[in-house]
Amino acid sequence: MKRKNKKFQRKNTGSLNKLSLFQKSDSKFSKKCPLSIKNAPIIDYKNIGLLKKYVSDNGKIISSKITSVSYNKQRKLTREIKKAKILGLI
Amino acid sequence: MAFYENTIVAKQDLAEKELKIIKDTYNELINSSSGKVLKIEEWGLLNLANKIRNYRKGFYIHYKFEGDKKTLDAIDKKVKIDGKIIRYLLVKYKKLDTKNEYFKKEK
Repeated sequence: MKRKNKKFQRKNTGSLNKLSLFQKSDSKFSKKCPLSIKNAPIIDYKNIGLLKKYVSDNGKIISSKITSVSYNKQRKLTREIKKAKILGLI
Repeated sequence: MAFYENTIVAKQDLAEKELKIIKDTYNELINSSSGKVLKIEEWGLLNLANKIRNYRKGFYIHYKFEGDKKTLDAIDKKVKIDGKIIRYLLVKYKKLDTKNEYFKKEK
């Protein structure tokens, strides 16, 4: 009887049955890093078109949780964004 | 000897003659102090993202050169005295790529 009860509970807590937006969903989805594929764009302080994608409207750097950039590339990104800010490009 | 990149932001209200003088002085300064200029790029007038010393636009000049500590000290000393320059940035590189130009003007 106990087992049956457990199965019944799992069905109720599906991904569609979330209480709020901030609750974590059961199903995992992972996105690959867009900067570590083959022929990826070069991370450089002169390449403003790329850097602007990873900066919010207020000039803050967007976290890698949202953009799914790998940890190694995120460190490079922050360094180059700060260089571009010195020159007043971003 | 190592490779470096130097970008200078000059004031917006300068005449074309004065810009040429700035461009030539730094070119000679690097060459005279045990360095060698490989490439010079002019990015032209660009909008600044935020106000710097009450200026909204700046004229960008970009150098790619080879040098050592003497050249860097010479540039640092010169820029600090120079009143026509708002900002500058010196970056060290292991390899320079002289092919890509991110600020090329479209014709």
